[in-house]
Amino acid sequence: MDDIIKTMRISSSGLRAQGARLKVISENLANANSLAQDPTGKPYRRKTVTFRNELDKAMGLNKVVVDKIRPDTSSFGKKFDPNHPAADADGYVLTPNVNSLVEMADMREAQRSYEANLEVIKASKAMLSGTIDVLR
Amino acid sequence: MAFNDLTVFSAVKKRLGWLTQRQEILSQNIANADTPKYRSSDLKPYKFKELVRSESMQLNMQVSDKSHLPGRRKRIRDFSEAKDRHPFETSPSGNSVVLEEQMAKINESQLNHKLTTNIYKKHLRMFKIVLGK
Repeated sequence: MDDIIKTMRISSSGLRAQGARLKVISENLANANSLAQDPTGKPYRRKTVTFRNELDKAMGLNKVVVDKIRPDTSSFGKKFDPNHPAADADGYVLTPNVNSLVEMADMREAQRSYEANLEVIKASKAMLSGTIDVLR
Repeated sequence: MAFNDLTVFSAVKKRLGWLTQRQEILSQNIANADTPKYRSSDLKPYKFKELVRSESMQLNMQVSDKSHLPGRRKRIRDFSEAKDRHPFETSPSGNSVVLEEQMAKINESQLNHKLTTNIYKKHLRMFKIVLGK
């Protein structure tokens, strides 16, 4: 029984990691149009999440945790808008390096992984109740 | 009469141990489905040899002081684990977990678990018939 509880712990660590990923994706999407305030400023920079495998020594199991939330170093886009307060001498404004298509694809992937973890928890629960049913 | 001296019960017990350990490894694979460079692993297939293997107790280290490290806790029976040498697909980040494959394995172990617990139940019912209840 202890082992199945452990299984659920691992899966819930997966759920938490995917949740953190979804949070960053929503941050990116919400800031897809956040421009700078003045010509020297920078627009919103996209963030990326990576995961890491971590050994929980007390429980003796391999969990998944969010490794680091790093900024995406790709270059910003440019838009011609001379009336904008952040426009440079040529009338161009820097736009965030967020591609909503990429973010949506990432979001779907996070959703699928979340569902997979949820299914594992369901399967483990069914196994556990099967074991308890032996007593009936 | 010790319960575990009966062949069916001891076989069921071992099989359940194997299944729960496998479930643990599979859930680890699925949780790490997006971890870069993670390689999926699985338990080695359950063989008849496991059934007749004599069990030797594995003792955990005892600590006499709070600052001592207890070491990694071991199960009494640990089945051996193996990394997938030839994964079906490896993503550009070096992750070799294929979710569909892992989900199928999870389902398989769930079904086997059901089968094993049902065998246990049936066998127990036979005893109950003998006892007249």
